[in-house]
Amino acid sequence: MQYLKPAFRNAAFYGHSFSRSSTLNPISLILVFPFRGIQTFRLAPSVSRFSSSMAVSPSSLDKQFDAFRVQLEESGTLRDRIRTVVSEIESSTRLIYATLLLVHQSRPTPDVLEKARSQINVLKKQYKQLAEVVGGCPGQYYRYHGDWRSETQSVVSMLAFMHWLETGSLLEHKEAEEKLGLNSSDFGLDVEDYLTGVCFMSNELPRYVVNRVTAGDYDCPRKVLKFLTDLHAAFRMLNLRNDFLRKKFDGMKYDLRKVEEVYYDVKIRGLTPNGESIVDQGNQGQS
Amino acid sequence: MFAFTVAGTNIQSSRKRVRTMATATATSIDPSMKDAFTRYAEYLNDLNDKRERIVKASRDVTMNSKKVIFQVHRMSKYNKVEVIEKAEKDLVAVTDQYMSQLVKELQGTDFWKLRRAYSPGIQEYVEAATFCGFCKNGTLLKLDEINKTLLRLSDPSIEPLQINVLDYLLGVADLTGELMRLAIGRISDGELEFAEKICTFARDIYRELTLVVPHMDDSSDMKTKMDVMLQSVMKIENACFSVHVRGSEYIPLLGSNDPSSFLVGVPDIEI
Repeated sequence: MQYLKPAFRNAAFYGHSFSRSSTLNPISLILVFPFRGIQTFRLAPSVSRFSSSMAVSPSSLDKQFDAFRVQLEESGTLRDRIRTVVSEIESSTRLIYATLLLVHQSRPTPDVLEKARSQINVLKKQYKQLAEVVGGCPGQYYRYHGDWRSETQSVVSMLAFMHWLETGSLLEHKEAEEKLGLNSSDFGLDVEDYLTGVCFMSNELPRYVVNRVTAGDYDCPRKVLKFLTDLHAAFRMLNLRNDFLRKKFDGMKYDLRKVEEVYYDVKIRGLTPNGESIVDQGNQGQS
Repeated sequence: MFAFTVAGTNIQSSRKRVRTMATATATSIDPSMKDAFTRYAEYLNDLNDKRERIVKASRDVTMNSKKVIFQVHRMSKYNKVEVIEKAEKDLVAVTDQYMSQLVKELQGTDFWKLRRAYSPGIQEYVEAATFCGFCKNGTLLKLDEINKTLLRLSDPSIEPLQINVLDYLLGVADLTGELMRLAIGRISDGELEFAEKICTFARDIYRELTLVVPHMDDSSDMKTKMDVMLQSVMKIENACFSVHVRGSEYIPLLGSNDPSSFLVGVPDIEI
């Protein structure tokens, strides 16, 4: 290098990628590129600004991600609390379901309902608890919605089935909310969950009809058919997306068909009480 | 209106159906049931319309954020400043024109309810914003800083749209893919130092995210992103390695066989 003129010394110093020995030094790595080593220096000022800001960044990067971790851990804890409550809701629902299954065994409906209703209060308490847990972070109902969605759909289906056994009519969304002690302003019942729950309830009806007829209640298919036809017609008022609810609704027609078949079987054999006035469906359990 | 006409035809068909299938006592749908379902139909229609509008707005955000990213990739070592300035300007335009549409549609519980409808757009936007930010300052643009720029889009009276941590992290995860492309481009342009910076930066992001991912809500999506990210980081590292190794081989050749190139470089020195 000694033959270099002083004017080039600087250049040689900065462009020491031209000297082989210096490439052994890892620090010079950035200058190693053979073709344009010198040209890189056009950027020298911006590069240095760049490096200085980079020097600060790791700590501020850490800071932000630490904050994220804390935030996400908090939401994880909340989710755990939600899941605890939801699993309790799930087991209450299971109890109610087990109780309601007795209607298929011709137990008197009022007795069955009585027993199931006592469980509803437990459920109500659990939903209140859930609302309190979720209430801690307003506006985030739907962030955690997935955690109680399917359980709530089952709850709705139980409630709707009970309501139907009792009154012969459909439990409305508002009524379902009231039964669970929810109000839509802070912790409500999602309409789509409600509708899905109603679809689940319809799945229960074919079996109910079959068992009622076996037990000798020949008027039951007519009542169920009327209800289910109405329900199916009502559902067709909705413009559904291609989602889970749509799928469940599509399944409803099989329930309807099954009930129609039962009704047909009963009618063709002359088992229906002909021309009889509609029996109050509230009393159907006693019939 | 639409719901009503649909309802009308349904009642008729159901009436017919009931007559043919059930006894003559059957009539049209229970009026209370019909009222209730009219309300549900209205609710669902509104919700679906809104979701559709948000999906559209999100798509616009995605498309235009991509353009910003491409603009950044257009940089070469000579026009860096101009290219980044242009990209930033484009990004501001995306914010004003398309993000504002999203902000208009979303408020309150919608942020989480309809997140799936707008999340892809937001992620792409975060990617574009952080990409610009890195090229300009060499640091990761923070979530708070992005959110600050969104504040002016919404009416101060309503709760403003704030990008949530999850979408931000998903966007940052995508950023490494772009960084990889940028690094390769910089290497072939001879900006080795810059490529090294990118490499360090991408590694930092990967490291930070590794710690955060297990706490994320639906980490399955993020886990695949982490795998892709590691691939990107390794690609950058391998590229740097290749240049490092082959570059050292090539130098003596340059020095001995082609001294003129050295002289060609001289006028470029600005010291």
